[in-house]
Amino acid sequence: MIRFDQVSKRYPNGHQGLDNLDFHIRTGEMAFITGHSGAGKSTLLKLVMCMERPSAGRVHIGGQDLHELGSDDIPYLRRQIGVVFQNHQLLFDRTVFDNVALPLIINGTPRDEVGRRVRAALDKVDLLKKENLFPISLSGGEQQRVGIARAVVHKPALLLADEPTGNLDPALSAEIMTLFEDFNRVGVTVLIASHDLPLIARLDHRMLTLHEGRLVRDGE
Amino acid sequence: MAENKRNPAAPRKRQSADTPVKKNPAPKAPKGAARSQRNWRHPLRSWLGSHRDSAQQALQRLRRHPLSSAMTILVMTIVLALPTGLAVLIGQVERLGVDWQRAAQLSVYLQETVDGPVAEQLRDSIAALDEVDEVQLLDKALALAEFQQHSGMGDALEQLSYNPLPAVILVTPNSIEGGASALQPLRDRIAAMSGVELVQIDLLWIERLTSILAMLERFTGGLAVLLIFALLLVMTTTIRLAIESRREEIQVIKLVGGTDAFVRRPFLYIGMVYGLLAGLLAWLLLAGGIAWLNTTVRQVAALYESGFELLPMPAGDGLLLVAGAVLLGLLGAWLAVGRHIRDIEPQ
Repeated sequence: MIRFDQVSKRYPNGHQGLDNLDFHIRTGEMAFITGHSGAGKSTLLKLVMCMERPSAGRVHIGGQDLHELGSDDIPYLRRQIGVVFQNHQLLFDRTVFDNVALPLIINGTPRDEVGRRVRAALDKVDLLKKENLFPISLSGGEQQRVGIARAVVHKPALLLADEPTGNLDPALSAEIMTLFEDFNRVGVTVLIASHDLPLIARLDHRMLTLHEGRLVRDGE
Repeated sequence: MAENKRNPAAPRKRQSADTPVKKNPAPKAPKGAARSQRNWRHPLRSWLGSHRDSAQQALQRLRRHPLSSAMTILVMTIVLALPTGLAVLIGQVERLGVDWQRAAQLSVYLQETVDGPVAEQLRDSIAALDEVDEVQLLDKALALAEFQQHSGMGDALEQLSYNPLPAVILVTPNSIEGGASALQPLRDRIAAMSGVELVQIDLLWIERLTSILAMLERFTGGLAVLLIFALLLVMTTTIRLAIESRREEIQVIKLVGGTDAFVRRPFLYIGMVYGLLAGLLAWLLLAGGIAWLNTTVRQVAALYESGFELLPMPAGDGLLLVAGAVLLGLLGAWLAVGRHIRDIEPQ
């Protein structure tokens, strides 16, 4: 599902974001990327999302070489990926329902189906009763769950998360991780960037450890 | 490379393992989930739905920012109404000029001694010319009577022992196209006839009026170009501000796979809605303005014994104005979103 072939990313200011990265995450797999802040976790996710382009090497997503992807094709790549952010990236002038519906509206899902699928996604994150509220009136954990519902509502084949438990207490963090495991159980490939080592260690998944842009450890 | 052992077979109805991301897939046709294939049957419906959403967003913006929207629309209205109003006025005065032109004549003054049968003979030979439509002879007595009636100098003339006025033949040409210069050959031929003292072309001052109107028209054209430019600037600035105020939203939309066209659409609708409202307001303003001016125009025209008045703006012109305003709004919005939206990328 995700394949990095000798991928490097050097920023114009000389900072080496990633250095000769080589790995493969198979379809249906769940994996963590870990490392200190600045180790390149976010850069790696940005390359997968085509928010940035590698300086060297090739990134393949779902068999597609991103190098061959023109800027007009990027939206269609992103529609097959769900993303969860530490800062949620919710739209605060729209209701929970409208936030979650956004990916469906964008890919042109028929109206009658939008309502059904948004409610299914909200049900999954246990926020069905809050669909008409605005994100501002939700707690941090609830906002994060709205973000997750939005990431999975269009049933992406690949789910990415960047520090999804960053601001949450351990109990809530564990709850969020359980959600990701649930999605993985039904076949979604999941890749999570996190530096919450104690939490990751308790979960039995593959772990890619980055240090200063290099892959220093790959295993469970 | 460790495989996930927990989940050997995905039970979902997803397509085969590594579904390739096709290059340039058709819009509104997401792959991945089998259920989404239903969308293939509704591309038009979902496209229309997206347009309806965008139009609704544009109206929503009007409701949320009534004051700034009203300001923009009013500026656009004035900018539209100014050159259109001038053009309408010039058109009306031109209509007056055309009326006068239709009455254009050559005045053939005969020598003082020519009158009676000789004058009639001259009249007939002029009438026989190809370029001549109509002739009318005012013999000396008639000329005197008319002069007395119109000049208010009847008393002075009565003091004279003789009639100083020559007989006049009024010649209406077939065609006045080409103006005074085109009438020159006819004038020369008549002037060469014996018994003719002077031939005057009454078209000249109408030509002057026409050329003044042409100058005003050109001025209005230049003004219109400038004002259209101003209108586009107003529009692009407004749309740019609207885009900036929604920068985060645009980033999120792009992050979840919104195309540039999807992001652009609501802003283009804002441009069109502003243009539509400004066009309608400008039409209203012009209609009101013409009615308001007309009361004084009628008074002035009455003083000149003319029934002239300004005609209301034809509905066709009004619709054209509104259509033009919508197009300009769209164009202004298009100029604003062009590069700007492309440049806003998720961070």
